[in-house]
Amino acid sequence: MLIIDSYKCSGCRRCETHCSFFHSGKTGHLGARIKVEKIEILGVDVPVVCHQCREHYCTRCPQNAISITDRGSIEVSPTLCDLCGACEALCPIGAIEIYNGIPYVCDLCGGNPRCIDACEMGAISLDLSIKQTVSLEDMKKKTKKMSPSQKRCAYAEKIGQKMRETWLKDRRESC
Amino acid sequence: MLNGYGGHILRVDLSSGRINREKTDPKYMLDVIGGRGMNSRRLFDELKRDIDPLLEENMLLIGVGPVTGSLFSTSAYMTISGKSPMTGILGDSAAGGFFGPEIKYAGYDQLIFTGKAQTLCYVYICDDHVEIRDAGHLKGWDIFETTAAIRKELSDNSLQVAAIGPAGENLVRFATVACNNSRMCGRTGMGCLFGSKNLKAVVVKGTGMVTAADPLKFMELCKIIDQRIMSHPEFQDRHDMGSTLLMKALNGLGILPVNHFQKGMADYVDKISGQTLAKQYKVKNKGCFNCNINCSRYYITPEVESEGPEYETLCSFSSRIGSDNLEFALKMNQYLNRMGLDSLSTGETIGWAMECVEKGIFDKTDFDGLDFTWGNIKTIQKIVDLIIKQEGIGAEFAKGTRHLAALMGKGSEKYALHVKGLDVICGDPRGIKAFGLTYAIASRGADHLRAEPFFELTNRFDEAEKRFGMRDVADRLSNNGKAVLVEFTERQALLTDCLTMCKNVGLSMDVLDFELAADLLKAGTGLKFTEDTVNKSLRTTINNDRWMNIDFGITPEQDTLPYRFTHEPLLEGESKGQVVPVHDMVKDYYKIKGWDENGVPQE
Repeated sequence: MLIIDSYKCSGCRRCETHCSFFHSGKTGHLGARIKVEKIEILGVDVPVVCHQCREHYCTRCPQNAISITDRGSIEVSPTLCDLCGACEALCPIGAIEIYNGIPYVCDLCGGNPRCIDACEMGAISLDLSIKQTVSLEDMKKKTKKMSPSQKRCAYAEKIGQKMRETWLKDRRESC
Repeated sequence: MLNGYGGHILRVDLSSGRINREKTDPKYMLDVIGGRGMNSRRLFDELKRDIDPLLEENMLLIGVGPVTGSLFSTSAYMTISGKSPMTGILGDSAAGGFFGPEIKYAGYDQLIFTGKAQTLCYVYICDDHVEIRDAGHLKGWDIFETTAAIRKELSDNSLQVAAIGPAGENLVRFATVACNNSRMCGRTGMGCLFGSKNLKAVVVKGTGMVTAADPLKFMELCKIIDQRIMSHPEFQDRHDMGSTLLMKALNGLGILPVNHFQKGMADYVDKISGQTLAKQYKVKNKGCFNCNINCSRYYITPEVESEGPEYETLCSFSSRIGSDNLEFALKMNQYLNRMGLDSLSTGETIGWAMECVEKGIFDKTDFDGLDFTWGNIKTIQKIVDLIIKQEGIGAEFAKGTRHLAALMGKGSEKYALHVKGLDVICGDPRGIKAFGLTYAIASRGADHLRAEPFFELTNRFDEAEKRFGMRDVADRLSNNGKAVLVEFTERQALLTDCLTMCKNVGLSMDVLDFELAADLLKAGTGLKFTEDTVNKSLRTTINNDRWMNIDFGITPEQDTLPYRFTHEPLLEGESKGQVVPVHDMVKDYYKIKGWDENGVPQE
C-alpha cells in the first residue's frame, strides 16, 4: 500500500497533478486518485488515498464490479460497473469517488506510483508487503452519509489532531 | 476546443446582478497570453481613466494564465487588477495558493467584476453556476473566520475562497485580498477595491480539468523546468527558509532596512533571521499549488500559529521599525493576515512616524498620544488597530504614507519612502542599483516584482557578458548596463505573471527563458506562440501600461527614488558610500525602451 507521512506533507498537491496527468494527460483535483485534504486553520495537510483497508468495504459492490489485485489495490471492472455509487458511499475516507463516469481509486499506477516521485517532501512511499491490514472501522462510524469530500475532511481532522499534539509538544520542549 | 485555457470569461455586474459568460477568444489570448497581461489589456481597453478608484466605475479583474493549474511546476498564481485606490494608477497584485488553479478548473480565464453591490455580498462560482450571495452575516469578520464560515455554510472544505478582512471593508487603502488564509494579494490595495464594491469574497469550486494540446511535449518541457529548479544552487536554502533567507543575506550586503533605511545592517540580525525562525518556530514546510520547493512554513509560537511570514513582512515588522523581537513579528504576520492589511505599507507608515519622531519633526501630541519610538510594540499594535478601524490618527495612516506626510507636512515628506504613492519594499536600492531603477520605473510604484533584477546579485560575470554584452551587469554596485538588465527582466517578470508562475522560481532563480516559455505555451494551448510573438506581446503590454499610467496622470519626474536613496550614502557595511544615480539610469532605460525623453512610448 501507499504509506503516507502527513507530517512531511506541505499540502502542495503535486501528487494530485502528477496522478491526474499520468492517468489522463490532464490535471485537476477530481481527476486524481490521491487527494490532499487541507485544513488551513489548523495548518494540517493530509493526502488521502486508498488504504487497502482490512475491511475492504468497497468490495460490497452490488454489481460485483470491484475486486482486489495481487498488489492489494482496488480494481473496478468497467463492464460490470453501473455507476450506482455504492463504493463511494461505502468507503469511510472518501478514497473512491466517481468522476466523469468512472470510479476513481488508486491503482498504484501499475506498480510505479507517480505521486511518489512527484512529492519533493518524501511524504509518500510504497510498501507492497502491507495490504489489507489497516482498519478503518472507527472512521466508518464517523463518516456515515457524508460525501467523499466531507469524509476526507473528517479523516484529515482525525490525523491532524495527532499531528498537532506532536507539534505542540515539540514546541514546548524547545521553548 | 481551446486547450490550456479555461475557455470562458465571466462578467459579474454587482450593481444590476447581471451575470454573463463569454467564450475566450484564442486570437485575443495570443496577443495577451494571460494573467497580468490579460488583465492589463482589459483595463487598457475598457476602463475609464478619470474615475475615482473607489467609485463603482472601477473594474476588478481576476486573471489566470494558460498553464495555471497544469503539470507545470509553481503554476499557482492569479493576478487581481484594477485602478489602485492606494496610488491612483495601475494597480495589481498576485498571490499563489490554490485559488488560481480552481478558477481554471471552473472553466474561466478571467473574472470581471464591475459596479457595486447594495449590501455586503460574496460571489459563489461553481463551474457554470454563478450566484451573488448575501454576506451581511460576515460583516467585520476576519479572513480566517470568513473563509471557514463560507466553507461551512456551503458544506465543502475544498472550496477556494479569496476574501477581505475588516481592513478591506473599512476601505483602508492598502487592504489585502487573501486566499488560503495566508496567500496575500498585498500591494496596491486590491482589498480596498473589493470593499468599495461591497464584495466580501469570491468563492470558487471547479470540477473540470486543465488540458494540454500536446500532453507528451508539455510533460517533457515541464521536466526541463523541474530539472532546473531541483539542481539550482539556491534550492536547499529556499526550501528551508523561503524568502526569509534574505534577512541575513541582505544584512551581509549592507542593504537590510534598519530603522527606516537609516542603516543597512542590524547587529541583532541573528535574533530575527530566517535561520532562527526555521529552527525555533517552524513545524513544517508549506507549499503553493504544484510547487517542488515548498518555501513557505507553518509556525507555532507560544501566542499564535500561522503560515508565513514572507521576508517583506518579517523585515517590515522587525528591523525596518527598529524591533529585534521575532515573536512579535510572527504575531503581527498572523494578525495582519487575519485583518487583511498589507504588511509592507503598514510597516512604512510606522517607520516614517518613528523616524519623524526621532528627528524631532513630530512628537506624541501629533499622533494621538502614541509613543513612536523605535521598536515600541505597544504603539505598533495600537496604531495597527486604529488603521483597521479608521479611528483617530489611524484614519490618516490608512490612506498611506504619501497622504500622511503631505497632510502633516513640516518637511516630513522627505522621509516618506514611496514612488508614485506605493511604499518602497524592504531592500535598500543603494546597494542593488538595478533594483533602484526598477522601483523608479515600475508601473505600479516602488516595487521589485515588476522586474526583480536578481541577476545582479548572482556574480555570474561570464553569463552577464554572454547575455547582455557587459560584465558589470552582474555587479550589484555598478550602474553600467542596469537599464539593459531591467528591460530584460521586466519582460521576464511579465512573462511569469502572464503564465501565473511563481516569481521566486521563474525570475529570481532564473529558470524561465522566452524560448522555452513559447514552446510550453504552444504545447499547452496549441496556439501559434513563438519566441517572437511572446516578446511582442510582452513589449506591447509594458507600453500599454505606460500609456495607461500617463492617462492616470504620472509624469517623468515621478520616475525617481526618494531623496534618501539618491543623496544620502550608506554609512557602513558592504554597500558603504553608495547612492543610486537614478536620473541617468532612467534616461538610459527610456532610450532602450524606445520611449522619448518624457518616457512616452513611441509605437
